[in-house]
Amino acid sequence: MHLLLVGTSHHSAPVDLRERVDFSRRGVPDALSVLDEIHGITEVVVLSTCNRSEIYVMCEDPSHQRDALASFMSAYHDVPESELAPHLYSRLDADAVRHLFRVAAGLDALVVGEPQILGQVKDAFTTASQRGCTGTLLNRLFQWSFGVGKRVRSETGLGEGAVSVSFAAISLAKKIFGDLTGARALLIGAGEMAELTATHLRTHGVGRINVASRTPAHAAALAATVQGEAVPWADITTQLTSADIVVTATGSSAPIVTRAHVDAAMRPRRDRPLFIIDIGLPRDVDPSSGEIEQVFLYNIDDLKTIVRENLTRRQSKVDRAESIVDEDVEQFMVWLGSRAAIPTLVALRRRFETIRQSELARLKPKLASLPPATQGRVDEITRLVVEKLLSEPTEQLRTTTDQERVAAYTDALNRLFKLQDDPNGTRSDPRSPASRSKVPTSRDR
Amino acid sequence: MNALPLLPYVVSAAAYVVYFARRSEPAGRVATVTLVLGALTHTFVIGMQTVQVGHIPFVGTTGAVSSFVCLLALAYLYTEMMTDERAMGVFIVPLMAILQLIPALANSVAPRPEVLAILDSPWFAIHVSALLFAYASFALACVVGVTYVLLFKELKAKQLGFFYARLPSLQVLDVMNGRAVTVGWVFLTVGLVVGAVWLLQEQPHTLDPRVQAMSLLDPKIFIVVVCWLVYSFELYARRAIGWSGRRAALLSAAGFTVLLLNFVPLSYFVTGSHNFY
Repeated sequence: MHLLLVGTSHHSAPVDLRERVDFSRRGVPDALSVLDEIHGITEVVVLSTCNRSEIYVMCEDPSHQRDALASFMSAYHDVPESELAPHLYSRLDADAVRHLFRVAAGLDALVVGEPQILGQVKDAFTTASQRGCTGTLLNRLFQWSFGVGKRVRSETGLGEGAVSVSFAAISLAKKIFGDLTGARALLIGAGEMAELTATHLRTHGVGRINVASRTPAHAAALAATVQGEAVPWADITTQLTSADIVVTATGSSAPIVTRAHVDAAMRPRRDRPLFIIDIGLPRDVDPSSGEIEQVFLYNIDDLKTIVRENLTRRQSKVDRAESIVDEDVEQFMVWLGSRAAIPTLVALRRRFETIRQSELARLKPKLASLPPATQGRVDEITRLVVEKLLSEPTEQLRTTTDQERVAAYTDALNRLFKLQDDPNGTRSDPRSPASRSKVPTSRDR
Repeated sequence: MNALPLLPYVVSAAAYVVYFARRSEPAGRVATVTLVLGALTHTFVIGMQTVQVGHIPFVGTTGAVSSFVCLLALAYLYTEMMTDERAMGVFIVPLMAILQLIPALANSVAPRPEVLAILDSPWFAIHVSALLFAYASFALACVVGVTYVLLFKELKAKQLGFFYARLPSLQVLDVMNGRAVTVGWVFLTVGLVVGAVWLLQEQPHTLDPRVQAMSLLDPKIFIVVVCWLVYSFELYARRAIGWSGRRAALLSAAGFTVLLLNFVPLSYFVTGSHNFY
């Protein structure tokens, strides 16, 4: 049984193609039901985000299934195979495990360390497992990947620090004011940047947003968009007194907010902090205003520097994150390898038990004269002997990490004990309900 | 016996350092759990000592420091539970572990002085408990104040680094500081008033030189009164002239530094009063 991944992402395909092969357009469940019917695929999960469309399957014949999945993606999304093929990638077994772990850890994301992806991987798994498309192997693989994502985040802090200017501004505001719900914002200027920042402020719960612009109509329009209130341009000084967060983004060539303005505004405010975000170019706020106690003045360059530092910091944590992924891939492969020996072990135990039972049956006439308690004792002793004989080989097989050696051992056992001829059968049907547990198993290493 | 809670405090302090430096959640949980264990052990030890000597063992610096550490542990744990914020632990718990060394090394409860029947007064118990609780609150306020200043500096300098990533917001720190100072001030006032009342009752009836030495000019009493003025000013400034944030933080740090000076070295070497051991 092999783990195969076929997909496309921001690394391999341009955005227009990614949009066309986005499974969420028609719904992932729909795609799952089609994939589940493909012969030879025993388990399947579809991971679809704005940056990637990937199919993870368990199958016996990966080279055949690779083509089948490529054809499926092409047909399902109505994209010619010749157009799609150059942008598709596939990964097998350990490489596929590593790929999923890297995705869950945010290492494969467009912006390294992006935290949303872990939630998206969880959603993809839940969708597939709720429809019974996953079994023991993918259950364990995805559960494991959640652990890797969490471990990378907690041990390296990879996802920390804002990596966009507006998020940097919001996180600064939160570090100053804590909860932004009761905060009041003042926008000076009604351009695109002001609107973008205001939208972020609104999303983060800023209670009141006032908008001032030299052109009252612009102020009114932006105020309507962000559910704020337009205020007269002449009232800026008064507004500064009551605001907590001020965003300036005008095209003015001279500073709009002077040191005298801020000084005047701070007097009635006493020590209540004022956070000024100056995203205008040239700057709208006199830089010396930042020297006033309890005034935190950040301009666009400061914010960009923060973003750059955060990105560098994230990059510096990538190596540690990659080594965590490597460790987990190795452990997962050990677990997977131990699974390969299970059918042989089951068959071996069954064979020994059959022998024991047949010998007991053969001796039954001779044992009949013994008291029932002694008969029970004989049964127990024979069972214990079988247990003892099998315990060491079982342990050896389960802990062997070398796949080739596991294959050699199981082959030898199969031949020596003629396990393949076991009338009870040794191979469980992978599509049987027992092997397709819908309930995710707990992570167990 | 005083060494008993020292071990969990040291383990907890180390765990808080690891939690703060690496932001490791498991280390954080270990830190809190061992601190709870430490506080429980400490409370038990103080209870046993109370049974042994017949009164709460805060006579003398050894007992007072031990009770102070215990109260600080409880006050800090309460703050941690209320704010769900563990970052302050790294500044407080190591201080507790160091302070606990004093009673742990002395490792004895102050014997009950025969002559000091006056200490049996409930006024005395209220006086000392209130002051120790006030000191614990001021210690918290000081630590919160120092962290406020550290974060404030990073934000002002636009050098977002170590503290930015680990500390709660300025607003939260300011509110915590304000609350801790208010609670501390109330207990300090109660402690001082009760102490004064007790002194007025006892001074005419005893010839004990330590009791006779108690006056505003006694260094220990003088400094506590200075601290009371500092904290009163902080509270007044916060309400009346809007001093909060950095200025309030610095005031509470200054106030506690003086208190700490009073608590340990002065008690040992300078004061003519208050050394009942």
